[in-house]
Amino acid sequence: MPSMDAVSRGLMLESLRNYARRRLPYDFLREKDRNNEFPAEVLAEMYDFSTLGVHLLLIPKEYGGIGAGTYDIYRVCEELARMDLGIATSVFATFLGTDPLKVGGTEEQKAKWMSKIAREKLLVAYAATEPDAGSDLVNLKTRAEHVVKNGEIDGYRITGNKQWISNGGVADLYAVLALAPGGPSWFLVEKGMKGFSANKHEDKHGIRLSNTAGLSLDNVFVPKENLIGMEEGNGLTEAQAVFGYTRLMVAAFGLGAGWSALETAVKYSQQRIQASSPLSEKQGYTHKLIVPNAVNLEASRAYIEEIAERLDAGERGLQTEGAIAKYSATEAGNKAAEDSIQALGGYGYTRDFPVEKIKRDVKITCIYEGTNEIMEMTIYRGRWQEHLKTRGEYYILKASEMEALHGENPDVGARASALALRTLAAVMEECRLNKLTRHQYITFKLGNFISMAETSAVFAKRASAAYSESVKFDTETWQAMSRIYARASALKIAVEGVSLVLGAAAESSLPSKINLAEIQSVQSGIMKDMDTVARKLKEVFKAR
Amino acid sequence: MIEVLDKCIGCSKCVPACPFNAVSMVGKKAVINEACTLCGACVPACPVKAIVITREDPVHRDFSAFKGVWVFAEFEDTGRKGPKKIRKVTLELLSEGRKLADELGVELAAVVLAEKNRNYEKELGAYGADKVYLSENCEFSDYDTDIYSAVIAALVSKYKPEIFLFPATFTGRDLAPRIASLIYAGLTADCTGLSIKNGLLKQSRPAFGGNIMADILSPNSRPQMATVRPNVMKVSPPSDKTARLVKENINIPEGMRRVKVLEKKVAGYESADRIDCADIIVSGGRGMKSREKFNVLEELATLLGGMVGASRAAVDMGFKEKSRQVGQSGTTVSPKLYIACGISGAVQHLVGMKTSDIIIAINKDPNASIFSVAKYGVVADVHEIIGKLIDAVKKAKKIK
Amino acid sequence: MHIVVCVKQVPDSTEIKINPETGTLVRTGVPSIMNPYDHFALETALNLKKEHDARVTVVSMGPPQAKSVVQLGLALGADEGVLLSDKAFAGSDTWATSYALSLAINKLGKFSLVLCGMQAIDGDTAQVGPGVAQQLSIPQVTFCEEVKVNGKKAWVRKATDYGYAIAEVDMPVLLTMMMHKDFEARYPSFLDIFNSDQKPYHVWTAEDIGAKKEYLGLKGSPTQVDRIYPPEKGCETQMLTGAPGEIAQKIVDILKKENCLR
Repeated sequence: MPSMDAVSRGLMLESLRNYARRRLPYDFLREKDRNNEFPAEVLAEMYDFSTLGVHLLLIPKEYGGIGAGTYDIYRVCEELARMDLGIATSVFATFLGTDPLKVGGTEEQKAKWMSKIAREKLLVAYAATEPDAGSDLVNLKTRAEHVVKNGEIDGYRITGNKQWISNGGVADLYAVLALAPGGPSWFLVEKGMKGFSANKHEDKHGIRLSNTAGLSLDNVFVPKENLIGMEEGNGLTEAQAVFGYTRLMVAAFGLGAGWSALETAVKYSQQRIQASSPLSEKQGYTHKLIVPNAVNLEASRAYIEEIAERLDAGERGLQTEGAIAKYSATEAGNKAAEDSIQALGGYGYTRDFPVEKIKRDVKITCIYEGTNEIMEMTIYRGRWQEHLKTRGEYYILKASEMEALHGENPDVGARASALALRTLAAVMEECRLNKLTRHQYITFKLGNFISMAETSAVFAKRASAAYSESVKFDTETWQAMSRIYARASALKIAVEGVSLVLGAAAESSLPSKINLAEIQSVQSGIMKDMDTVARKLKEVFKAR
Repeated sequence: MIEVLDKCIGCSKCVPACPFNAVSMVGKKAVINEACTLCGACVPACPVKAIVITREDPVHRDFSAFKGVWVFAEFEDTGRKGPKKIRKVTLELLSEGRKLADELGVELAAVVLAEKNRNYEKELGAYGADKVYLSENCEFSDYDTDIYSAVIAALVSKYKPEIFLFPATFTGRDLAPRIASLIYAGLTADCTGLSIKNGLLKQSRPAFGGNIMADILSPNSRPQMATVRPNVMKVSPPSDKTARLVKENINIPEGMRRVKVLEKKVAGYESADRIDCADIIVSGGRGMKSREKFNVLEELATLLGGMVGASRAAVDMGFKEKSRQVGQSGTTVSPKLYIACGISGAVQHLVGMKTSDIIIAINKDPNASIFSVAKYGVVADVHEIIGKLIDAVKKAKKIK
Repeated sequence: MHIVVCVKQVPDSTEIKINPETGTLVRTGVPSIMNPYDHFALETALNLKKEHDARVTVVSMGPPQAKSVVQLGLALGADEGVLLSDKAFAGSDTWATSYALSLAINKLGKFSLVLCGMQAIDGDTAQVGPGVAQQLSIPQVTFCEEVKVNGKKAWVRKATDYGYAIAEVDMPVLLTMMMHKDFEARYPSFLDIFNSDQKPYHVWTAEDIGAKKEYLGLKGSPTQVDRIYPPEKGCETQMLTGAPGEIAQKIVDILKKENCLR
């Protein structure tokens, strides 16, 4: 679905922000966080048609929803994460829970359930994970057995246990993945069905406003029309199909939570006077704790937006891209929150300031929807195929694109990005020649390099184009950020790539294939750029 | 220029609408005579929109005939029995207008619309007016936008002042823009400084939400109109001069008053409730952190015999009611003593209190702009100071 | 009954930022909102709509992105929206703005009420409302807190310097609205925003409303900004230092000296 116009989207975000301002002051969230309490009344209001109706975003227009596009969802998710990641997760679970239906449901099923979710404001849960099956869903143990009546399949009896299900204890409707005779399949299970129960609400490190619980299914009968798609065996494909998109939402969570912490730090740094000047004027502070995080977050924003636009334009799959977005944004968000605690010193370590809570909350984004280690693996696998298929040309080609961009616009770090991509191509080729991908660690590191190199390219490209509504910085700052990110990518891939290859291979000529001198020379100007970013952050997030 | 189009149906509704008897019916058509001041009062009276006033090209107008500084004289309307008093802000404007007139070498005049003259030329003259343009009519006893704007526009057309100052009161803010719109004149609201620059009125005011100052000129229209809030300008000491009285007879046509006031209620006007009447103000801002902490200021204010004020931020955060808001967007004050607690000092706040005699500012941030207007400054957490200050004041007043 | 509401897009006042080095306004990253007084005027109109089956049109003037406040009005319940947007309008002062708005309102046809916020929080001039009323040749009541409609008459309660007044006036009339302190702006739901995109919305240029260019924009505005500058330093400040107790004592000494302790 294409996204809506910027004005409508802006109004929705404003309504959401205003709702948070009015109803979710920090003291309220802090209290719920301490009590490990799911704010049912908040969710009810957020689903209320005349207040917000946030769940309608995911419901297509023909079923009474709004049918938002990916870009819209990214923006809303970022904003939800700024409010509270637990509440955001609860909303997200409904989004996620409707996905199997959206991807695999029959027309009748969609019409029936989508309309019902929209109209009756159902909280939905997505129940795939099991004690022994996380990202490795093939180990699924929950079984769905046929119930035969008059010689025909009348329904299923589902038995098994689900674990860590968001909204597990509070949802009205559950999309449950179970192994049917024909293979893994999705079933719609309603609250109150006989034999179906939720376990206790988990006592979690963070997102404590989100209800998380295990599910017990003991011979639960579901009628056959609750088998999504009316056909067995499509469960894993359906689960895979939406990853490009669902991981983008988690990416937006990392982005929103990270910025929310960092903004607090930027504002604090202007007010905290130390040795007669504010912390925000001290490079040792800003260039260590603030600037790199702002750069990483904005780089991941550029990447998320690029992928959101491609999905809105109709591209499908994009699983590697979804993984890169999730990986880079959630790592950036987690680090930003961590450094924000440090930036606030003792205050950051107390619960009087929200950064400590954000840090606990944002950690989940590195874990759910596939841990970031699974992301590294996914990214590596996706691009390794490309590397082999193109005989090593994949990143060489991308590097040439960046060199061309540098010719058009020398201010966006495209040259450094090209160097990052060329170096990446060389490292990958060297890994192939020396069969180094037998080392799992190296493959995961390649996932990391790929993520950085590709993000730098997208950032440079977007920093050169007319920039989007979400960017709070002027062109000068936005481009300075792109340069900083591209330089760091090139340097990291060169240094760490050489170290990995030389450390694992018997012998390698990799160092001679990397243009280290040029990578070093493009580092020039980094101090000035960091100064620019530090100054602009102060202006954009001015302490009052 | 004014013209009556051919579509005039001869209904003669425009005739009584004119305050100057400048419209008469000739045959079956309205004719405008030379008494017309282009005030525009007849335009809405015409049911077929046959009367059209076209104004000259704004850029190429000749302003040589426009001379003198005018001040609109506003009267108190407190509902008390007896003759209405001239509002103090009028005297503030005269004092300021005097300086402008002197610099330009022109006359200063006050415009008085009243039921009856009560030696206004004496009081207004004492505060600087050379002349008083007075129109008497029983219709003037209750302010009405349409009547006042038509009459004043007519006076402007006739006597052509180059500068015209209005108080930025509820009345002034209702009247001035209506007149400006009627005569195509530049109007600058809530000026905090007035001066002459190359023969033009330079009007200074906070702009863009009050964090920055702007100088504004109206080079291509006359009069140059400005409103000024009460307490922004200082009143000069009175002299024993009397102004020359120029009486203007104006007929107020029937039906000109379109807004019927059914009831007037005086509320919250007692000086005990009014922040702009307080001699001592203890004011708090965002730095007071919470409503509870803000309330500590009450004790200090009571001890000093003053009142508590608040910045816009403090009011927005619900620490204090809007009626106590000090600043351009609230009330402008000029007390003897102003203690600013945890107020960083946005321009719009500063212009609303900087004429206070003594300003003491307490703020954590040494760069806070409040210090730029403060006579005494304290860089500290306001919460650490206030308690001690209350104790010290009690000790000085020998209160246990 | 047809009610026209004039609204303005303004920078969120709590977020205004000034570059301390250049003294200019920082425009990036400053969110825009509907002027809160206009928001109140709009809610007043929408309440009247409920009671009297009225039609509400929202009119704004501004750059293309000011569409946002018009659409906000539609999402909240207005029936039709108009944005006056044209390079010719850029830099208009309150006179030129009133002129353009009044032409647009006339183009909309018959109306009973024009509601405006009493002032905009970015300029605080309170001049556009009366200016529009004058250009439309209709009466005005400014600083209204409450409005009722009865037949052809409007009944208002308005603030005065001394308290308040109750007044009655034949419609059409222009009212400028002053919100009470408890007013909380309402924001539309996602569905209302989504549906508002389907309502009639027009962008009108200077030509569309038949405006004369010499009365528009920077050139047609009688007031001109001569200079913008950070406020100058007022006076020498004497800083009081020491422990909190010492500072308190120093302040008391000043109060005594200045005769402020009674």
